[in-house]
Amino acid sequence: MNGLGPTTSICPRCRVVLDAELVERDGRVLLTRTCPEHGSFEAVVYGDAERYAEIQRFSKPGEEPRQRQTEHSRGCPHDCGICPEHEQHTCLGIIEVNTACNLDCPICFADSGTGTAGHGFSLSLEQVESMLDAFVAAEGEPESVQLSGGEPSIHPQILDMLRAARDRGIPLVMLNTNGIRLARDPAFAPALAEIGVHVYLQFDGFEEATQVAMRGKSLTEEKLRALERCEQAGLSVSLAAAVERHLNEHEVGPIVRFGVEHPAVTGVFFQPVTHSGRFRPEADPLDKLTNSDVIEAVCAQLPEWFRDDDFVPVPCCSPSCRSATFALYDGSDLVPLPRLVDVEQYLDYVTNRAVPDLDVREALEGLWSAKAAGGSAPVVERLECVACATAIPAELREVAARGFMIVVQDFQDRYTLDVEKLRKCCVAEIVPDGRMIPFCAYNSVGYREQVRATTGAESGGAVGWRQPT
Amino acid sequence: MAAADLKASCAAAYAHPGVRWLLGGELHPGGPATTRRALELAGLRPGQRMLDVASGSGASALLAAGELGATAVGVEYGEEAVASARDAAAAAGLGDRVEFASGDAEALPVEDGSFDVVLCECSLCTFPDKRRAVEEMRRALRPGGRLALTDVVAEQDRLPAELRGGLATIACVGEALSAEGYERLLADAGFEPIVAESRDADAARLAERVSDRLRGARLLGLGALAELPLPLEEAIAMVGLAREAIADGSLGYAIFGAARQ
Repeated sequence: MNGLGPTTSICPRCRVVLDAELVERDGRVLLTRTCPEHGSFEAVVYGDAERYAEIQRFSKPGEEPRQRQTEHSRGCPHDCGICPEHEQHTCLGIIEVNTACNLDCPICFADSGTGTAGHGFSLSLEQVESMLDAFVAAEGEPESVQLSGGEPSIHPQILDMLRAARDRGIPLVMLNTNGIRLARDPAFAPALAEIGVHVYLQFDGFEEATQVAMRGKSLTEEKLRALERCEQAGLSVSLAAAVERHLNEHEVGPIVRFGVEHPAVTGVFFQPVTHSGRFRPEADPLDKLTNSDVIEAVCAQLPEWFRDDDFVPVPCCSPSCRSATFALYDGSDLVPLPRLVDVEQYLDYVTNRAVPDLDVREALEGLWSAKAAGGSAPVVERLECVACATAIPAELREVAARGFMIVVQDFQDRYTLDVEKLRKCCVAEIVPDGRMIPFCAYNSVGYREQVRATTGAESGGAVGWRQPT
Repeated sequence: MAAADLKASCAAAYAHPGVRWLLGGELHPGGPATTRRALELAGLRPGQRMLDVASGSGASALLAAGELGATAVGVEYGEEAVASARDAAAAAGLGDRVEFASGDAEALPVEDGSFDVVLCECSLCTFPDKRRAVEEMRRALRPGGRLALTDVVAEQDRLPAELRGGLATIACVGEALSAEGYERLLADAGFEPIVAESRDADAARLAERVSDRLRGARLLGLGALAELPLPLEEAIAMVGLAREAIADGSLGYAIFGAARQ
C-alpha cells in the first residue's frame, strides 16, 4: 500500500471530473490527468514518495455525520455540502463572515481585500447563528469552529458572532485574523478573552521580503503589538504561517522558535500556499511546497528539537493532508511528545499493532485532529489523559498538558485536487444556506465563487472600527 | 569506588524503574535487533546451550530460547533482576529451557566447557576485572564454542574528563576499551577473533533517546525523580557530551565475535 494508483481529479481549467493517476517521479508524488479539451496537467502533491507510502497506515475509518445536507446528483466533487458520497464527518467548521479585509495581500486564497464592496458579502449575525445551528445539527456536539473572512475582526458584529458560537457550547472558538485590529484597538483582545476565543494569527515570518511578497507590506510591528495585547489579555494564540516555495521556507524554524519563546503562543500552523484565489503568477504546480517539504525544513532548521518522525499524520483525514506534533516546552527547551509516548503505536490503523490503552488512543485521536489547537481546553484535557497513562505524577500533569502544537496542513487547489482524498476531508466551510462544503472543494471546484455571487452584500458591507485617539 | 560497590551500584542502577524509563526499555544500544545480530554472528543454533553473562531483565536469554530455540542460562549480579527474569521466563512459557542464577561474572557459577555460545552485552566494560571475566567466559565455553561480546567502544584519551571513571562507569563509558583493547583482551585470554562489527548508529540512537527523556523529565519538573544516580542537569550535560563523542567517533558500540581456541 504505497498510496499511488488511480484516483479522480478535475481539469484545472474547466473543472470537469477526470480519471487521474498518482505516480512517483524523482522521489516525489505527482497527480496527473488529461482533459480532452485542455490537455494534460501534472502537479506535485507530496514531496517525498517514500514517506507518502510510509504514512498511509495512519488512516482511521471515517465517521458518520449526524446529517447530510445534499443529495447525489452530479457526482463528487460537484454535490458538496455534505453529500452521501462523503466518507467523513466534520472536525472543524469554518465560517467566513465577510469578504472585506483591511489588507490587500498579493497572496489570498479567499480573494479578499479592501475593495470587495459590490462583489462580496458581509453576513448578518442571524445568518451566522443559523450556520452555527446547521453545524450543531450535523455534528451534535461540535468541538471546534473558526470564524474567518475576509478579515473577520472588522465585521461590526464579530464579538456577537464569536459569543454565539461559545453559547452553542463549542469549546474551541477560533478567530482567524491578521492581527491589525488586535494591535490597534486595545479593547479588542480583552473582549475576545472575555468570550473565550483562541486567536489564529496570520504570521508568515519576520523578513520584510516575505511580508511584502505575501501581504503587500511589512507588518512585524503590528504582529508583535497584537501578540503583546493577547498576552496581556490572557489569550492563547496559534501562529498561522502560509509557506511559499522560494519565499519563506527558510523562516519556518525561526517562527517555531519565536512561538516557543512567546508566552501567548501555544502553537504554530504551517500551510503550504494553496494556489487558489490570488497567488504568485510564477507559482508552478510542479514546484509546489508540500507537507513533507515543510516538515523537512522545520527539522533542518531546528535539528536540536525535531526529527521527521516527530510529525505524525492526522489519521482522521487523508494522511498526506495534515501532520502534527505536540511538545513539552518551557520557553527555551522543547521535547516532542512522540519521543516519550509511542504515538505511532496508537494511531497506526493498518499495521494493526496491539493498542495498550484505548483511552489513550481516544485522547491521541483528539489531539492528532483538525479540531485541536494548542492550549485549548479539550487539548489540555487530552494531554492530561496521555500524561496520566505514561505514569507522570499527578501534580506534574498540568505541565504535560501545556503542550506546544505544531501542525503542517496542505490544502488542495485545482491543480492538486485528489477527489479520493477529498472524500475524507474533515474541515468544512459552512455556507449561509447551511451546506458544509469540504474546504478543499470550496477553494478548487468553484463553490467559493458561487457562494460569493449568490450571498451578496446582505448586511451592508464591512464597517471599520474606530481607531483610538 | 570499591569493586564490590561498583558491581552493586551498576546492578541497582539498571534495575531502577526511572533508569528503565529513561532507556525506553532498551537496556543496551540497538535492543533486541542487536542481540539477534550478535547471536547470528556467534552462529547460535536450535538445541545449543547459551550462557548470558549479566543477563539483566532476561530479555536476551528469552530471545535465544524463544526465537532461536536454544537452551539458555542467565547469570546476573542483582538478585531482584534474577527473580523478575525468572518470572518473565515463566510468563513466556519458557521456564523449561531458560534458567537464571545469581552470580558474579568474575566467578561464574557454571561448569567448565558447558556452553556452545556465551553472550555478554554491554556489561564487560563495567566489570572491574575484565581479564578475569573474559577468562571465566572462556572456561564456560566448550572448545570451539563462540563468544558474542557487545560493548561500548571508547578511545579514552579522546573523551572529555566527565566521561571517564566514576559515574560514567555505570553508564558503560568510563571504563570502556577501544576496539583494539577488546580484541587484545580476548586474544590474551585465549580467544581467536572472528569478527568486529561497528554498531555506532545504535549508540547514537540510544543516547538521543536518553537525552530526550532526561530533557522531558526536566520539562515536567521531574528533577526529583527519585534516586537517579546523578542530578538531572548533570545527566543531561553528560549525555550531551556522549552524543558529541559518538558523533566524532571517539565513542561507539560494537559486536565482537570470537571462538575459544
